[in-house]
Amino acid sequence: MALPSTHSIARRLALMFSVAAACVFGLAGLALYKMQRAELHRHLQQELDTRYQYVHSLLVRYIGSTEKWPNLVSRLNDLAPPGGKVRYVIEGPDPRFRYGVPFAEGAVVRDDEGVLRIVEPNHSYFAQIGDAEAFGERPTVKLSVAVDPVDFDTSTAKLGITLLASLGLGVVVVGALGWWIARRNLAPVDDLSNAARYLRPQNLAERLPATNLPCELVGLVLSFNGALDRVEQAYQQLYSFSADVAHELRTPLGNLIGQTQVMLSRERPVVELEDTLHSNLEELERLRIIVNDMLFLAQADRGVRAAHAMRVSLAEQIRRSAEFLDVLFEEAGVELSIEGDAAAAIDPSLFARAVTNLLHNAIQYGLPGSVIHVVIKSLDEGVEISISNKGEPIPSGHIDRLFDRFYRIDPARTDSGANHGLGLAIVKAIAVMHGGHVFARSKDGVNIIGFTIASEARI
Amino acid sequence: MKILLVEDEAKTVAYLQRGLSEQGYMVDVAGNGIDGLHLAMTGEYDAIVLDIMLPGLDGLSMLKSLREHKHTPVIMLTARGEVDDRIHGLQSGADDYLVKPFSFLELLARLQALVRRGRTQETTQLHVADLTIDLLARRVTRGSRRLDLTAKEFALLLTLARHQGQVLSKTVIAEMVWDVNFDSNTNVVEVAIKRLRAKLEEGEEEKLLHTIRGMGYVLESRLGKG
Repeated sequence: MALPSTHSIARRLALMFSVAAACVFGLAGLALYKMQRAELHRHLQQELDTRYQYVHSLLVRYIGSTEKWPNLVSRLNDLAPPGGKVRYVIEGPDPRFRYGVPFAEGAVVRDDEGVLRIVEPNHSYFAQIGDAEAFGERPTVKLSVAVDPVDFDTSTAKLGITLLASLGLGVVVVGALGWWIARRNLAPVDDLSNAARYLRPQNLAERLPATNLPCELVGLVLSFNGALDRVEQAYQQLYSFSADVAHELRTPLGNLIGQTQVMLSRERPVVELEDTLHSNLEELERLRIIVNDMLFLAQADRGVRAAHAMRVSLAEQIRRSAEFLDVLFEEAGVELSIEGDAAAAIDPSLFARAVTNLLHNAIQYGLPGSVIHVVIKSLDEGVEISISNKGEPIPSGHIDRLFDRFYRIDPARTDSGANHGLGLAIVKAIAVMHGGHVFARSKDGVNIIGFTIASEARI
Repeated sequence: MKILLVEDEAKTVAYLQRGLSEQGYMVDVAGNGIDGLHLAMTGEYDAIVLDIMLPGLDGLSMLKSLREHKHTPVIMLTARGEVDDRIHGLQSGADDYLVKPFSFLELLARLQALVRRGRTQETTQLHVADLTIDLLARRVTRGSRRLDLTAKEFALLLTLARHQGQVLSKTVIAEMVWDVNFDSNTNVVEVAIKRLRAKLEEGEEEKLLHTIRGMGYVLESRLGKG
């Protein structure tokens, strides 16, 4: 029954938190990275620009002769010591006005971001390249300023790594926190499942605790406890029913066995043997009727509904049942009055059975010479048939149990063959099969027992 | 009269075969649905007693196959006793049904009713010893004495007379006379019989209506039977 759990809510929540955290941190990190990179880039460009502008303005304003050239060279050597990350290159047609090692042919490229780059086998530079117009005896020269962006690259790489690391860490931390929070908040579920684990048939009255629960779980617990109520009821009913059945069958079975053994224990005349067989048959017939009635009740328990319902006059049906009991009415000196009528969809045979049982009950327990009143009343949800007779009041403790199987107000009357204690239980079953219910009242010396039948739509 | 009994429970078969044979029926037995169908298709039977739960081919399927070709009357025996099963059985072509545990007397009465169906040459007078029942005039006389019976008493006597010599159970009588088709757990039949008997057997007249303990009632003359 216990399927291995395929997923845990806590684990799932933790995972979902982690995914959400990864999304949020990732997007924020990416934005931060982009922004930071652009900023660094801007700084680098600015530096490049400043250097270029400075040398360019020197060139075009002061460096117009070979005398002045060494000044520039020494200035440039100061600005960019060899082997440093900044390089200046001046190229021109006049060899006297040249500086630095020119870049290889084709090393200058413009990258995707529109940045001029110089790519050499060992180095890569950001560059600014332009012409400085002729001045004095100096012809027009090409000025290139290149900055090795190693700082830029390392800092962006560092930034990226930091961001990625914090992203990973954040996801793990959020996941762990999420798991902890989920576990903490799901603890009542664990408690419930522990409580449920200890529910046993031996302590059917046990229920899940519905106190101190989050509102989301209260409904579940109440429904579950409701289901337990119904199970307990059904279980009790079944249990007592089985016990009753065993008890009811035990006496006749014992009689049959004992009686037959006694008769067969020695030679006996045929008449005596025949007599025993007849007696056995009486007991067996009772057993047959009990078993058939119990099978009938079992069907009703299983929810079988009245079939082949026909719409008929109930007063007419009751009159027919009364006709069957005619001789009993006469013997008991009891009169019958039927009041009201209604048409309802019923299974006539089942209905007759219920009415016969109720009328028979009223004849048995009614005062001799009194009148049994049958009242048929139309209700909103169906029809009510009540049968009342004058008789000894039914003690209130017994009223509710009248319709229980094998229930007898006076247990001493068990041996009366005509009364096996299932009559009113059958009435109840038939009412239920017609979507109705039974009721009983005892007041001022009048006992009323009856049942209802739901209108067709509900059968 | 020939009956086909399709039933797999050995004890049930044994007592039904014996009981029906003693009542003058010729009984063929099939222990499963396939044999049952074969016998039913090839033989000529007045009625078939068919159990629902059978090995091989269940009773309802067998009946369905049979009904495509033949209309031999069928009584279904069902252990389930479900309301729906009954309708199912009747719709599938069964003529009658009995819920297990059933009484042999009831089966006998229903078999007779089935077999008699279709050949209703009703006589107008029935006789048991010196008892005469005139069906047309609805008059009953015992020798020269006229019996004053109520309608139900007349119906009860008529039912017993039609089955004279045969034991009718209380359940069967309730169904035949009052059309009550359930075990009512009342003593209506006992009381009605007691009243009928009081009118039927006055003074020194021969006892005709006998009670068989545990079985039911039988109307017959037992003079000269020892």
